[in-house]
Amino acid sequence: MAPNQKEALGQPAALEANVKSAGLGQLVVSNDPAETLIAYGLGSCVGVIAYDPTAKVGGLLHAVLPQHRNGDPNLAKYIDTGIPLLLKEMAKLGARKANCLLYVVGGAEMLQVAGLANGFNIGSKNVQMARAVAEREGLRLKEVDVGGNSGRTVKLEMQTGRVTVRTLGRGERTL
Amino acid sequence: MQETSTFAGVQLNSILERMAVLAAEQAAHGLSTMLGRPIRLTVPRLSLVPLCEVPYRVGGPETEAVGIYLQVQGDLPGHVMLILPYQDAFRLVDLLFEAQEGATMQLGPLERSALGEVGNVTASLFLNAIADATGLSLRPSPPAVVMDMVGAIIDIIVIASGAVADEILLLEVEFHGPDRTLEIYFWMVPAQSIADADIH
Repeated sequence: MAPNQKEALGQPAALEANVKSAGLGQLVVSNDPAETLIAYGLGSCVGVIAYDPTAKVGGLLHAVLPQHRNGDPNLAKYIDTGIPLLLKEMAKLGARKANCLLYVVGGAEMLQVAGLANGFNIGSKNVQMARAVAEREGLRLKEVDVGGNSGRTVKLEMQTGRVTVRTLGRGERTL
Repeated sequence: MQETSTFAGVQLNSILERMAVLAAEQAAHGLSTMLGRPIRLTVPRLSLVPLCEVPYRVGGPETEAVGIYLQVQGDLPGHVMLILPYQDAFRLVDLLFEAQEGATMQLGPLERSALGEVGNVTASLFLNAIADATGLSLRPSPPAVVMDMVGAIIDIIVIASGAVADEILLLEVEFHGPDRTLEIYFWMVPAQSIADADIH
């Protein structure tokens, strides 16, 4: 591919107005009704969305692994430390935990070749951990779209709290 | 490439570059034999790329792509991943099948299998060259071909690296056919430090 084509294809969404995207091991929060929060191409990673419909404050975590490793300063990379951090950042914008609706998306198994999957199954471990943390934090788990073998892009529209999931070949659906 | 770059403790501008040249020769020979006509491979660049930038080198995290993944076992366990955005995959299939550029517009079982084989041959011969140069035993697994969004494909290597490697090694490989050249990106992730593996 020619270099100019690469640039044309690269990072389209980050350049879109009013879009905040969470990359690997990142989280984004918002209280701006004009904004949309997105995590692109979740494979075995899990996107955790929390939305307080009263305060109209939302957040999206793009976590990679279930459990925090000692010494890693990036808490958003892990589900067990990322969800509390997400709630903390949202609280700064006026969200209340008791109001928050939670969505868990992703956690696919991307490799299905016998003998290769050893030590993986990270997708389902991520989902399990997200459920466990939701329970521990007393959060209302509104909807999940997890597992399978396909990547997902998840979006939260701040104005309405609408959460949509896009999968290749199956289009976009509202959770 | 920065002069001071190191990958898993090895100076990029020394051992790895020499290996890349050897590996490209072997892979080209293998591919040419497989296809029955000459294909030349060059590795114009080796570089370290932060993991979070990887999706943007191959079209962005939501771009539809083909990923060819091999696990490496032996003295230097690790992972090799080839990621081709669909458009590049179409061009590579055209090149392999001696079709006119633009002839391939979708990836059926035949095309997928051809891409898997190219990934397999290229990566395996690459590993052979490294093995020859170092005396290490490197055994690649059969290739897994995944078609999905770039972000989802990359999760495979992110997890495979234990999500601890902040940077991975990028090999820009050029496939030169008789009438065209294609640039393909290979990513290598070590499961342990190459420096620990005692390379001479």
